[in-house]
Amino acid sequence: MLDEPYRWLEAVNNRRDYIEDQLRGGSPVVGLRYEDGLLLVTIGRGQRKIFEVHDRIALSAIGHSADIERLRMMATDTASVQGFQSSVDDVTLHRLTNFVLGPTIKQSFEAIFGSAYIIKMLMAELGVRGEGDGFVALNYDGTLQSNPDREVIGGTHEAETAMQHYLSAADTSESSLTDSLQLALETWVVGWGLGLQQTEADSDEDANEDSELTTDKERLHEVLRDELQAGEIEGAVLETSRRTNSKFRLLTSGEIDAAIADWL
Amino acid sequence: MTNHKGNFLDLLKANECQIQLDLPATSGNGASPAIQEIEGTTVLAVRYKDGVLIGGDRRATAGNVVMYDRADKLLQIDEHSVLAIAGSPAMAYEMARVLEHSFQYFRRSQLQELSLEGKLRTLSRLIRENLPMTLQGIGGVIPIFAVYDLLNEDENGGKIFFYDALGAHFESTDFATSGSGSVWIRGILFYQNRWGEKPLADMDEQEATVTVLRLLDAAAEYDSATSGYNPKSNIYPTVKTITKDGIQDLSVERLQEIYAESVETTYAR
Repeated sequence: MLDEPYRWLEAVNNRRDYIEDQLRGGSPVVGLRYEDGLLLVTIGRGQRKIFEVHDRIALSAIGHSADIERLRMMATDTASVQGFQSSVDDVTLHRLTNFVLGPTIKQSFEAIFGSAYIIKMLMAELGVRGEGDGFVALNYDGTLQSNPDREVIGGTHEAETAMQHYLSAADTSESSLTDSLQLALETWVVGWGLGLQQTEADSDEDANEDSELTTDKERLHEVLRDELQAGEIEGAVLETSRRTNSKFRLLTSGEIDAAIADWL
Repeated sequence: MTNHKGNFLDLLKANECQIQLDLPATSGNGASPAIQEIEGTTVLAVRYKDGVLIGGDRRATAGNVVMYDRADKLLQIDEHSVLAIAGSPAMAYEMARVLEHSFQYFRRSQLQELSLEGKLRTLSRLIRENLPMTLQGIGGVIPIFAVYDLLNEDENGGKIFFYDALGAHFESTDFATSGSGSVWIRGILFYQNRWGEKPLADMDEQEATVTVLRLLDAAAEYDSATSGYNPKSNIYPTVKTITKDGIQDLSVERLQEIYAESVETTYAR
């Protein structure tokens, strides 16, 4: 029956609903520029969520951990083999997302008898000589969206829009790591808080607070404090001034504490 | 998708990506090879106060022809390890490249650093796989692997390992030498360490550098395949330090200064 076009569309749409439902509770990831490179930040609960793929490429994701792991290995293996076969300079995020990850995700998304990847990915690349820096967000259907300065992924489309909106006025290219980290954490709360409200809104109809979070910083820091009871801030940078070939490093607890010290 | 459990060589083989070290042995009749192989020459590592200081000359030769006078024989593998190569550059550079990518692949895929023992074994495997070439008389590589072991409980985590052609590794407590010029300086190092003004392990960076530069000069005196300081093109040997803060190259200015002060001394008559 699926050979009828209408049935096929219906099946794909069901799939869309199913995956979006699974992703709803995902902890957002925020990607931002800072003076010395690119920053990725999230709040996790035990599972590591931000990874080094290659010298200048980092990956983070929300979704099913087995799917994240499969695609992470695919990205890492592909990048490692290509970097060895020719040169590490030939490993670029564009090649990885557009020729490897995107098509793979799309194919399994539309193969409606098989299992789809339950995933949204946010990847970052530090360009060479200050050019070509940027973020790419990959959706569960294989579509992608890129931005040189900032990008987010979150549990719902609404959360992502709210986070984008919160970031839209900011220019962090001259910001210190601490400043960018603070903005990223606030953005995280905006996305996460919206998700929380929506779950609550399913039971009671009083959901019109989302503008409150974005205007009231005190309230925003309060939500963050609550979340830190159970969760832990995880952050990583692709750092231009790092001496080694590999520019990726996880943030130290000292750097994270410096950013949230005033809010605790 | 197969999980290679962090083993880069297996990943390469699964992707049908041949590395130079896999080249099959050609005519194995024991006759001397028809081509003159390019060879690297003198490298040495000493364990000094802050870690390991490692030095190498710059000359690459094929038979009695000087092929290249700016060869860099000290190859940084990761933040705390250096491979000092002697022997065939073709194989040695490939070995270093495989090693670097292997360590990185392990870290990236397994989310933890490869242990020191794991690193040593990876190099062992590479040398062993290169054995057919070594036996043929071309393509042999006998490296020194120097690291700073951050997990070491002693105050000085500097460690020096050397290998034989079959890939066995040995840890050396004080120093290691490799290459055709090494025979001339191994004895001097032993003498210096035992009866010199102070043992190598007590020397600071300056003293260790003087020692290493003098030894490279001594090797160049007797071994035609080793170059000391080349005044015509102003080429100095390369010297690196490996300490807990990472790897540092000694600048040409610094080497110039030390060389003029403590190495280039002439007799009064």
